[in-house]
Amino acid sequence: PGVCRAGTPCRGLCSEAESGSPKIKKPTFMDEEVQSILIKMTGLDLLKIFKPAIRETKPPTYKLMTQAQLEEATRQAIEAAKVRLKMPPVLEERTPINDVLAEDKILEGTETVKYVFTDISYSIPHRERFIVVREPSGTLRKASWEERDRMIQIYFPKEGRRVLTPVIFREENLQTMYSQDRHVDVLNLCVAQFEPDSADYIKIHHQTYEDIDKYGKYDLLRSTRHFGGMAWYFVNKKKIDGLLIDQIQRDLVDDATSLVQLYHILHPDGQSAQEAKEQAAEGLQLIKVFAKTEAQKGAYIELTLQAYQEAFISSSAAS
Amino acid sequence: MVQLTPVLYKAYHGGHLTIRLALGGCTKWPFHHIVASPNKCPTDGHFMEQLGSYDPLSSSYGKKLIALNLDQIWHCIGCGAHLSKPVEKLLEVLLAAQKTDTEATETRELTSVNIAVGTRLKSS
Repeated sequence: PGVCRAGTPCRGLCSEAESGSPKIKKPTFMDEEVQSILIKMTGLDLLKIFKPAIRETKPPTYKLMTQAQLEEATRQAIEAAKVRLKMPPVLEERTPINDVLAEDKILEGTETVKYVFTDISYSIPHRERFIVVREPSGTLRKASWEERDRMIQIYFPKEGRRVLTPVIFREENLQTMYSQDRHVDVLNLCVAQFEPDSADYIKIHHQTYEDIDKYGKYDLLRSTRHFGGMAWYFVNKKKIDGLLIDQIQRDLVDDATSLVQLYHILHPDGQSAQEAKEQAAEGLQLIKVFAKTEAQKGAYIELTLQAYQEAFISSSAAS
Repeated sequence: MVQLTPVLYKAYHGGHLTIRLALGGCTKWPFHHIVASPNKCPTDGHFMEQLGSYDPLSSSYGKKLIALNLDQIWHCIGCGAHLSKPVEKLLEVLLAAQKTDTEATETRELTSVNIAVGTRLKSS
């Protein structure tokens, strides 16, 4: 009986742009093009992905392999790494639930406490579950998102998730974690604890990305599954300068060009996109066009590009 | 608690399935399972299936938590299960089934008496 919950955003469907021509579809996080660019930028550093995690120690095993077996093992490791690098979804913030199902004045004063009724039928997906609160004043209302998450965690516990929000997500403790360079741990805990479209999840992710941008610590997230989300956030906020500079300094010019391409896909009405189309720019030229037109730190980007080109020329001359 | 083997069930004649609260938990900390069990069995004994739980201690979250496996409850009622008085009261809170004003005023008086007794005990 009843209607399934409203407020679940549709993933993977393009929505029309709010202003401008209605025919252009705004690309979302889940588009294949966008995903392929982000996966390429994330990189595949096997040593970092399979870094030993803190657990019970046992003595290491050594295997003797031929070259072919070693290649086979590396291939399998790459497959496993790709599974680990699957990006957590980026959704919009969920609208709060304010539905009142019934107002029964008869029941006013009969109870002193709230009653929370949860439906624990096994076959219903968690989003469509009925979780309903009867207030002492007699109103029967649907439970808010936080109450829903708590109740679902009580009756259907998920591993790694606590019922009450852990202390680590408070401001002071987050700052301590950032100062110890443990952004990856913060983001992993956040993914385990909150739903992807809850306000807390989005707020903590944005805060982490801002902190990384402030101190230029992009390399911390390089081979993890959070890199795509970070790049997507920066491109949406038009703050890709720091990331570009970091990529050029580490000789990842292909990644830098793909980042600028992603920027042009998302903001096709901007100055740099149109100039790039006119000049049909490729590679380094693309970055230079972007640095001249829309970047905040254009001078820095051009300087780093120059330094990279000189280093490239001198190394190719030496070899 | 005596575990009834299937041999001894035959001693129960003419019972019916009841949905009732099975008390568990510790001293001063009650917790009820909402359970469908034969009429004649002891309340916290053998049951057919568990249909939910009721946590009367509202100090845990400031709310009384009730979980109901609605699919199975409708199925049991369809098979002809009866409901016990406390379960009926819980469902009345959910469905606002206190049809007459007199019933509601009775419960209101009872609650206010309970509140008064509670405050007097706390202050003394």
